[in-house]
Amino acid sequence: MFSYEKKLQYPVNIKNPDAKAAQVIITQYGGPDGELAASLRYLSQRYSMPYEELKGLLTDIGVEELGHFEMIGAIVYQLTRNLSIDEIKKSGFDTYFVDHTTGIYPVSASGAPFTAAYIQSKGDVITDMTENLAAEQKARTVYDNILRLVDDPDVRDPIKFLREREVVHFQRFGEGLRLATDRLDSNNYYMYNPSFDKPKR
Amino acid sequence: MTPREVLMRKVAAADFALFDLHLYLDTHAFDRQAMEIFERYRTKAEMLRREYEESYGPISLGTAAGAEWLKDPWPWDTEGSYRNV
Repeated sequence: MFSYEKKLQYPVNIKNPDAKAAQVIITQYGGPDGELAASLRYLSQRYSMPYEELKGLLTDIGVEELGHFEMIGAIVYQLTRNLSIDEIKKSGFDTYFVDHTTGIYPVSASGAPFTAAYIQSKGDVITDMTENLAAEQKARTVYDNILRLVDDPDVRDPIKFLREREVVHFQRFGEGLRLATDRLDSNNYYMYNPSFDKPKR
Repeated sequence: MTPREVLMRKVAAADFALFDLHLYLDTHAFDRQAMEIFERYRTKAEMLRREYEESYGPISLGTAAGAEWLKDPWPWDTEGSYRNV
């Protein structure tokens, strides 16, 4: 089960509203490589994991991603407070505003609503861990792109933190995949599914 | 930054160190040195959390309920943005 903590993993304190920035950053809330997708992916993959290290890893990272989901929500919320109608019209935020006002809703930057089609849970430890390595790099690329688009240091600071976490998660998933492949027997050199085909402890 | 924000930053930093070590130990379960650092941060994070909760209100939902738990600021609020400052 999960229990709420009334704090962010890393502080978010944005002074100036910026609808344009909000509109691109919201993609990490409900977009294809966003934090919601990440959390659902890892927390769902846990059940079929044959090794305790990977159950632990997916639990810890899946929960951390929920914390990042909350951080992105806080960033978008703070960026869209006190906006004038003029700013909303000028920035192009009006297409979001018409459906959600300044409520926080999981969509991609281009406005596509969140879908579970962004993620996979394949019941195969090799496949799932390989998906996760790609997912972390894709998210890292998105954060790099956000840093190319946003100048405000108040926004860049938590975004840089989130980018770093993608790098760390990629490293941990790499170690996790190695722990899994180390347990394959020598005939399984194509790395087929050790969670379905009798896991070796 | 207000004194509350300064202390919250300390709590968040200690909790983060603790969490990142926890994650490292998932794939390095027998690293004794990392385990010792984890224990050190556990004590530090607990102390800071208690200090924050005594001065500014609950972080963990198990420590308070009702008006005390509900009180602003929530994590996405910034200083001055909520009503009961």
